[in-house]
Amino acid sequence: MEFKHRRVIVTGATKGLGKAIALSFAREGAWVAANYFSDDQSAASTESELASLAQKYLLLKADVTSKNNVDKMIKSVVDQWEHVDILVNNAGIIRDKLLMFLDEDDWDRVIDVNLKGTYLCSRTILRTMIARKFGRIINITSPSAITGRAGQTNYSASKGGIISFTKSLSKEIARLGITVNAVCPGFISTPMTESLNQDIKCDLLNKISMRRLGQPEDVAEAVLFLASEKAGYITGQVLAVDGGLI
Amino acid sequence: MEEIINNTKKLCEFLKKMIIETLRLEDITPGDIENEAPLFREGLGLDSIDALELVVAIEKIFNIIIEDEDVGIKAFASINALAVFIQDGYQRALTN
Repeated sequence: MEFKHRRVIVTGATKGLGKAIALSFAREGAWVAANYFSDDQSAASTESELASLAQKYLLLKADVTSKNNVDKMIKSVVDQWEHVDILVNNAGIIRDKLLMFLDEDDWDRVIDVNLKGTYLCSRTILRTMIARKFGRIINITSPSAITGRAGQTNYSASKGGIISFTKSLSKEIARLGITVNAVCPGFISTPMTESLNQDIKCDLLNKISMRRLGQPEDVAEAVLFLASEKAGYITGQVLAVDGGLI
Repeated sequence: MEEIINNTKKLCEFLKKMIIETLRLEDITPGDIENEAPLFREGLGLDSIDALELVVAIEKIFNIIIEDEDVGIKAFASINALAVFIQDGYQRALTN
């Protein structure tokens, strides 16, 4: 129970990677505040799993692109749990289109959720971490940020921005006992990737040195490591969990 | 705390001790900090990261939010400036 009594906020925590991360923290004794935006059904399902696993949990519906929402969300966690130790900025969306057809709303929304959301949550969480001189901020980026991908100018820009943000913020607050790192998941087994047709799947697998998709738990383990006290001398880094993709 | 805030001399001494304790300045005593001396770059030689810790400490102890960097720069110009900032903030909170 490595994270006994540690208070964790995970954004976008009720589906996919975010859910795997939230549940992994819960299994390790953490108090888990799971944020989500719109899918009430997935949220209800995640809530019942958290209820059986977590020492304490909160389910927080909030739009990470809204300063007001984020302030209220984090205030509610701090009011109930006194402080927050770990923030995982996982909330993210994709709206893939070739640039010539990428309209302003598709650009703005992806940048807002992925990058601005990371900025707002990190900025608001700082006071509670600085007061205790301890914190872990882990941001989820993407291989698309490093290699680029056709159809993902918006997504790769947002995830690339997350890497730069991670490195800059890490330099600001390292002295204050707070580490800031990024995890870069490769192609991970999800209902979406499993349902791809065989040719696309083969093409994907050929790009991965390990010739297999990763599991959400592979990514969760990396996040938990960076959140742990063992990773106390690691900051400003990007940890790729991708089976040798990039 | 009200008694300290309303007494400028006591408040300045309190702030000096708070700065030393918050920033773990082991070789500095309150007597080493002059009330009018700059706190940042010259004088005490604090930097912007030290400012983050002090902002959080001030907010926690006095319940006064320093949201703006410009406000912070003026407030932290010296011990005297910080005392005035806190006294003003306290008065505003009382009248609101």
